[in-house]
Amino acid sequence: MAEISPQAVKFNRAMQEEKNLAFEILSDPGNKTAERYGIKYQMPEDLIKVYSQFGLNVPEHNGDDSWTLPLPARLIIDPDGIIRDAEISADYTVRPEPEDTLEKLRVLVDQMNQF
Amino acid sequence: MKLQEKMDAYKKGMRAKAPKEALEIMLRATEAIKHSGMLEKTVKVGDKAPAFSLENTSGDIVSLANLLSKGPLVLAFYRGKW
Repeated sequence: MAEISPQAVKFNRAMQEEKNLAFEILSDPGNKTAERYGIKYQMPEDLIKVYSQFGLNVPEHNGDDSWTLPLPARLIIDPDGIIRDAEISADYTVRPEPEDTLEKLRVLVDQMNQF
Repeated sequence: MKLQEKMDAYKKGMRAKAPKEALEIMLRATEAIKHSGMLEKTVKVGDKAPAFSLENTSGDIVSLANLLSKGPLVLAFYRGKW
């Protein structure tokens, strides 16, 4: 398990410590890796205003003023680097259940053990 | 409680608190993504995952190859902790 976020390393570290997370959290400056996965999202002007009103300073968090975010994505990648499952959402409030991800991993590991 | 139930409860709370105009802009932005064609251009099942080398919270550089050397990988993209 690993997570990629455009946040600066210090914010990822704070989150990892606060939530006591054991997996890697990697910083993706400018969403360059997200772009290669086809999920870099340019926020529109009106949405930037709303976020600013809410005090969500995306440039400060991400260390760049592009106002880009990754679409929320959950991928399962096999050891050969092939994507075996992908859950990518336009709506950040719709996410796959962790139990379903674990089940998919179990199926993948079973398949791998058959060969 | 299921994750999605928690998220639905969070969304309900936010909708009760946030100004109507702001909510409309947020909903419109989500709909715009759905209709932009962007979701057809993402990586897909069967694709080779694009390589990366990124800094972790200890200041070390971690690559996709490093992560895959340990077995199958669940990779999540996350916007940020706000």
